[in-house]
Amino acid sequence: MNWRKVRTFLFTVLALCLIPATRYYQVDEPLLRFLRGSLHVDPLSLHLSGEFVENNLGTELHADGSVTVRMIAEQYLFVPHCILVPAGVPINLRITSADAVHSLSFEGTEYAVKTLPGTISKAELMFSKAGKYKTVCREFCGPGHYAMRSELKVVPRDQFPALRPEERGNCAAQ
Amino acid sequence: MRRNDRTGFFDWSLTWALAFILAASSLVLVAGDAAPDRVPSLVTWTPETIVAASSGDAFRGMLLAKRCDHCHGSEGFSPVTSTPNLAGISALAIWKQLEDFRAHKRRSRAMEPIAESLSARDVEDVVSYYAKLPIYPDPQDNRVFPQGQPSSSRAALASRLVTFGDGDRGIPPCQACHGPVAYKIGVPSLANQNGDYVLDELEGFASGTRANDINQPMRIIAALLSEDERHALAEYYGAGLGLQPAGSTAKK
Repeated sequence: MNWRKVRTFLFTVLALCLIPATRYYQVDEPLLRFLRGSLHVDPLSLHLSGEFVENNLGTELHADGSVTVRMIAEQYLFVPHCILVPAGVPINLRITSADAVHSLSFEGTEYAVKTLPGTISKAELMFSKAGKYKTVCREFCGPGHYAMRSELKVVPRDQFPALRPEERGNCAAQ
Repeated sequence: MRRNDRTGFFDWSLTWALAFILAASSLVLVAGDAAPDRVPSLVTWTPETIVAASSGDAFRGMLLAKRCDHCHGSEGFSPVTSTPNLAGISALAIWKQLEDFRAHKRRSRAMEPIAESLSARDVEDVVSYYAKLPIYPDPQDNRVFPQGQPSSSRAALASRLVTFGDGDRGIPPCQACHGPVAYKIGVPSLANQNGDYVLDELEGFASGTRANDINQPMRIIAALLSEDERHALAEYYGAGLGLQPAGSTAKK
């Protein structure tokens, strides 16, 4: 092992250590964003691009039968306000916050997902019983916190409709 | 300086490689990203936009605002109930609406061409002028605010929504974002707003004809409200009852 190899190794380690710091200094660079990890988002520009744009929120049914639910928690609403999911299927929940720290919980279940601005919280949920679940914020987030509630509708798997992209975020229409 | 200096720590070849990869990747990733996203508004509340929106020249704005007098009133209070009062509204709130009119994210036959004719600096100046206007009543002014008092049952219904919202349906209280309890960034105060304008906007949000709210809070809330509640809220704010925290003025 010669000094040149050691030097290159140390330089690489130093460069890797600086990657998280680019987030603090707001360096907006696609590769750095990729290297920092896919669990980071800019909470101020969720509506402009990325996976949390309006038409991508809600329930997405994949070809293999798995389900992804994307949500935003903001003061004092969960967006979309009502979501529809099939029963007995593992649901990949991806949720982020646009402002404060919130906590998404489903009444009558043990699930609670804390959401932080700038971070995507991932959770795998499964609802065995069909029915309506109240979605409640369990982390004090401001003067409207107590009214931060929405609804999750679980329907039997065979009744779960093939969602068109524009219906993802709206369970009232279904 | 010798490139192959063995005593130095800094490695030029790695630096150049990194710089090249960063430049190439930014080109590739920017070019490859072309999904048809629905974007409600181009505004983001970064420190730069907040500084830009709140540091206009109010005196220059006053001269520019002569064009706005006809509809929005010479003192920022409109003579028509369906036109918004702008006096004392947060500079960020008016700035965002003008930017959305400029980008055609909020539709209005009157405001879109006007906003398009303004430069970025004009918008900042006009906005800081209206934000500085006083809200006290002026007898010489031809304002129509406040309008008549709502019936006591309507006022009680609105007052309840403004103070507490409706937890069962997931409707947050109006005053948690529109003041006076708290203001979210870029959210206007409704204390001095005309009733018909409030009603028009609530119905626009509910039907989706107005869809420029970031992360859709108002579209969700307006759709959850009933027809009766929307009218009650518009009458409540139009009568000037939103000046104090709701509940204290319902019996006035």
